[in-house]
Amino acid sequence: MIPPETTSKETTTDMSTERWQSDRTEAAAEAKESSAQDAKGHGVNIEALNAYYGDQLAVKNFSIAFPANEVTALIGPSGSGKSTVVRCINRMHEEIPGARAEGSVALDGMNVYEDGVDVTSVRRLIGMVFQKPNPFPTMSVFDNVAAGLRLTGARGINLRERVHRALRAVGLWDEVKNRLDKPGTGLSGGQQQRLCIARTVAVEPEVILMDEPCSALDPVATLKIEELIDELKDRYTIVIVTHNMQQAGRVADSTAFMLEGELIEHGPTTKIFTNPNDERTERYVTGKFG
Amino acid sequence: MSVTALPRVSPRRRRTDKVMRSLLLVATLIALVPLVFIIYYLLHKGLSAVTSSGFFSTDPNGNFFGNPGGIRSAILGTLEMIALATAISVPVGIAVALYLTEYGKESKFANVIRYFVDVMTGVPSIVFGLFIYIVLVISKIGGAFTGWKGAVAISLLMLPIVIRSSEVVLLLVPSSLREAALALGAPRWRVMLRVVLPTSLSGLVTGSLLAVARGMGETAPLLFTAAGAFALTGNLGAQMNALPIQIYNDIQSPRNAITARAWGAGLTLVALVLIINVIARIASRRSRMA
Amino acid sequence: MQEVRHSYREALRDLEKQALGGLDLVTQALDRALESVSYQDVELAGMVVADDDRIDGRYLEVHQGVLSLLARQAPVASDLRILAALLHIIRCVERMGDQCVNIAKLVPLSGYESPKDKDILDSIERMGRHARSQVTQARDAFSSRNVELAQDLVRQDAEINRLNRAIFKRAVEIGDDVDTREWAMFMILVARALERVGDNTVDIAEQVVFVVTGLFREVSDSTPAADAVRPA
Repeated sequence: MIPPETTSKETTTDMSTERWQSDRTEAAAEAKESSAQDAKGHGVNIEALNAYYGDQLAVKNFSIAFPANEVTALIGPSGSGKSTVVRCINRMHEEIPGARAEGSVALDGMNVYEDGVDVTSVRRLIGMVFQKPNPFPTMSVFDNVAAGLRLTGARGINLRERVHRALRAVGLWDEVKNRLDKPGTGLSGGQQQRLCIARTVAVEPEVILMDEPCSALDPVATLKIEELIDELKDRYTIVIVTHNMQQAGRVADSTAFMLEGELIEHGPTTKIFTNPNDERTERYVTGKFG
Repeated sequence: MSVTALPRVSPRRRRTDKVMRSLLLVATLIALVPLVFIIYYLLHKGLSAVTSSGFFSTDPNGNFFGNPGGIRSAILGTLEMIALATAISVPVGIAVALYLTEYGKESKFANVIRYFVDVMTGVPSIVFGLFIYIVLVISKIGGAFTGWKGAVAISLLMLPIVIRSSEVVLLLVPSSLREAALALGAPRWRVMLRVVLPTSLSGLVTGSLLAVARGMGETAPLLFTAAGAFALTGNLGAQMNALPIQIYNDIQSPRNAITARAWGAGLTLVALVLIINVIARIASRRSRMA
Repeated sequence: MQEVRHSYREALRDLEKQALGGLDLVTQALDRALESVSYQDVELAGMVVADDDRIDGRYLEVHQGVLSLLARQAPVASDLRILAALLHIIRCVERMGDQCVNIAKLVPLSGYESPKDKDILDSIERMGRHARSQVTQARDAFSSRNVELAQDLVRQDAEINRLNRAIFKRAVEIGDDVDTREWAMFMILVARALERVGDNTVDIAEQVVFVVTGLFREVSDSTPAADAVRPA
């Protein structure tokens, strides 16, 4: 018998097993499709965004698609424009004196920068969580969560139910159910941040923007919030700006790398952290420059 | 440099510390001396008048002989005019401060306003009185010398103080709170009303108090406007008495009983300011707990 | 610009040096094993077996080093691929060392007389030289990240495979003498071990391509079960 030559491996599929399985799942798939329409997520598409601080161009011709019900992380060195991009999505950028943005940011195909669009309604659909937890100091825990609904003049809704639901959604209910009327500032840092997330979620937006939500928190609180983000993405599209690359690795489905106001690379998180296309991405993630 | 034993404090250092502490203590005592003296004199000279019968329940009767009467009309006059002046200057002042911090910000117009407000704080109170005298009294609008015109003059005096202190307090509200409220989709006016004002409430109250205390003791504007009458009148549309006017008139009298009344009025005035301070402090503490 | 993460980069470089140094140890072991076969030098063969401890030790060192870097430095992208490749490579080093031991162990078994068949011995010596040059080439390809050099190894390995088949054929037709036949059987096993060494260098070549391109393309030897005679 002659020793075999070197051959390349072939993969074969068992066709019969496949067909049997597909029959069984077909019925299930049909049922899923009808409910999928109701649970349809909301994607954000940015096209040719240019953001200015006075005369200085901070974000240059930026285009990206944030898929619905996924977490996308924006990474990059300081000053790369990540926070600016995110603030342009809910039109908070223009609140800074002298700041303006041009281009299109489309939520479900509707451009939020179109003439005559009501900025406050945009912000009701696109919520934001900030780096430093900022519960309203004069309000109780309950009032803080209800603040979003009250400040936007929501009428005819069951406030208590919404607040309780939001607190449960962020996993804070058990910790605060006996102190709903105590000041919101009496909680720990991690709890305060979850309170702010509950406040955002109570308004029932479609997208949640997070600007380094864990930088001011200890590791345990950080992990709790990352867990929360994983649960929230079932119902919201999430964009998170982070300095911490391991966090992007843990939390994000896809990651975008920005440098000096430009989008350098955008891809599945695993690819960005195992085999990025761009040399600059490679240098940043491996820490070859700060 | 390796140390075998921790160095001890040198005697010279200890001496310098002691000298410094003593110097600062002396400076503090020097500053306290006039205050102590004032209180002493007020009590010494005014207590007898204040405790005399009918001091608070009778009006000055302008008699040359006999019981000169109490200061009831003066107290009531002061309270009424200050109340009206506060009702005018505090809302207007806070509104101007809100405009400067929320809308005007660093614009040229806002800076011009700030400049003029600063100028107004330096204007001598007699000028305000003169201004109202010319504009309202001589022109005989709504009567000649009236209480409400006195109130207007005082409110002009209080206004820049309210504006300046309110602006400082409003600027202390962290912008993160405004951002959080805006990001929830609240219109700007709701952010001001429901977030900024409640957060800065205690500071606004304290600032308005400063203005009230100042206004209570001003004599010059009242001389040309309310002019002072002896009889008790609740009618702001007529000439009114006030504590400063009463003191001004009484202290010039040759009669001991009347000068004693002046001291009593002074003591009353100081006591009033003290009471108002305490009330407002309680009120602001309550609002913070809410 | 001063290098950021200086100690991490240095640790990574040192680890690579250690792993590739393992290949040098393999070359040494291979040389000695082949010499002991050519000259029936049992003593030399004994040294090869004893020195395999060094290779095993090197394996443990590199393995531990990789784990340590993974745990402490959270490497990503090309750094991560290099570490994954080093784990793979040091495994290949260990296996190649084991193959040299296999060859060495056959020397006392194949008798104390001189080799019986010149053809087979020539082929064995040629295979040995090929294997040795492939090991060196694999080392160079990895340290210089040279994809072409790596892919050339695949081509070269074909020669070893050819020699392996030739030796097998010759052994089958070697004749009736029992001693000769016995010796020829042992030579087949030696050839087999050398062929395995060649396969391992091809594995290393695959790792070079993976590190550089991020893609893993397997060019492997799918040996049917019946043929798998692996001396322990």
